Amino acid sequence: MEIINITWLQLGLGFLIMLLPAWILWRYQTGLNAKLLTSSLRMVLQLVFVGYYLEYLFKYDNPWINAAWILVMVVVADYATIDRSELKRKFSVLVPIFIATLLGIMIIDFFFLDFVIKLPKFLAAQYTIPITGMVLGNCLRSNVIGINAFYYRLDEHQERYQFHLACGATRTEALQPFISVALQKSANPTLATMATIGLVSLPGMMTGQILGGNSPLIAIKYQIMIMVAIFSGTVLSVFLGILLTNRFVFKETDMLDDSILKK
Amino acid sequence: MAENPYIAFKKVSISFDGEVVLRDFSFEAPAGKHTVLKGESGSGKSTILKLLLGFLKPDQGSVMFKKRDVHPQRIRQRTAWLPQDLNLGDGLVHEVMQQPFSFKINSSLDKVDFSGTLEALGVPKANLNKPFRDLSTGQRQRVGLAICHLLDKPLLLLDEPTSALDQVTKQKVADVLLEGKRTIISTSHDPFWVELADKVIQLD
Repeated sequence: MEIINITWLQLGLGFLIMLLPAWILWRYQTGLNAKLLTSSLRMVLQLVFVGYYLEYLFKYDNPWINAAWILVMVVVADYATIDRSELKRKFSVLVPIFIATLLGIMIIDFFFLDFVIKLPKFLAAQYTIPITGMVLGNCLRSNVIGINAFYYRLDEHQERYQFHLACGATRTEALQPFISVALQKSANPTLATMATIGLVSLPGMMTGQILGGNSPLIAIKYQIMIMVAIFSGTVLSVFLGILLTNRFVFKETDMLDDSILKK
Repeated sequence: MAENPYIAFKKVSISFDGEVVLRDFSFEAPAGKHTVLKGESGSGKSTILKLLLGFLKPDQGSVMFKKRDVHPQRIRQRTAWLPQDLNLGDGLVHEVMQQPFSFKINSSLDKVDFSGTLEALGVPKANLNKPFRDLSTGQRQRVGLAICHLLDKPLLLLDEPTSALDQVTKQKVADVLLEGKRTIISTSHDPFWVELADKVIQLD
């Protein structure tokens, strides 16, 4: 089945439906109309840029260029994670979270692309870019939840941490309950999505494949695989992020260097 | 002065955000005795215990344990500490009590008697299955004291151990905690507790 292309004019027409929510938001004085305008503009500009860029990426399909694009995505995700986790952009946080995110994504990519799907070409753009993008986007969301929960809870419940250290716990032992909560908080949204997927909503990747003319049976296999990749990638990157950052953000007294927090 | 001090502070100064909390403070605590640091709120009592545990580093002076500079991780293997406001999280009382005994350093202590110790401190053993956060301040304090006692460490550091207790319970705490020959350093401005000390250090 041939996919129906949308012309730029049709896309513009599609935007007319936005007048309805815009009127509702304006009528009830939500103050969101300006944000709606800038967000829509940003969405269009960013996606147009990515669209053209991906065209180029798919045309050349060079593993070095693909790898460079992944690196760019990881750097952007690194800064976004730190900003949204309410941490300061310090070397002691930026570098470990960058390494953790990159490691997490590399493990997932190599496992799924080379071991499971067995791509005929190393880092083939058609598979590598969308799968990496989906996993990375979810890693970002989970990292923000997990890393924020870990450091802010530790700061808030310092006395409990100190009590356990004073009972003879090693730093790793005393941090264990905080890591546990951070992992719970970051893994829960993906687990909830996995439990309701297909019933409440049709996920993006599956929808894309079906729109692209693929059989729904192939689409669900990819969707199941991407959910497994997302879940594994998010837990891995939160865990590695906390583990690696912890090597740099504690003083010799075992106390957290709270200058990393934006509070 | 103790001839062979177990703990010694030598001209220790520390300040936070420009506010001096301790200036050239010195004291010695003998082994096997109960030393009380007596003083009003804000006199630096809790800070002294945190310096001893290596959570804080002095701006000047030295903190000595057995004649050597305090090594945070090493001294913590020999201590149990009761902080002033003990919050051990969302678990049940028996769960939060169990946690310190899961640490490798304490793994040789088996069959610790939680319920017997709690009852000796005036907390009904039925409370073991209640959420820790549902306990009163005084009961939480005694759960902390029970953990400190059961860890069987040579050095006990107690921050205002009787601040939330009535007279009868204070006596129970004294009976349990002050038995044996361990070294205890506590902070207090409770006349009952100060009276039980072998040595009292008055803080300005």
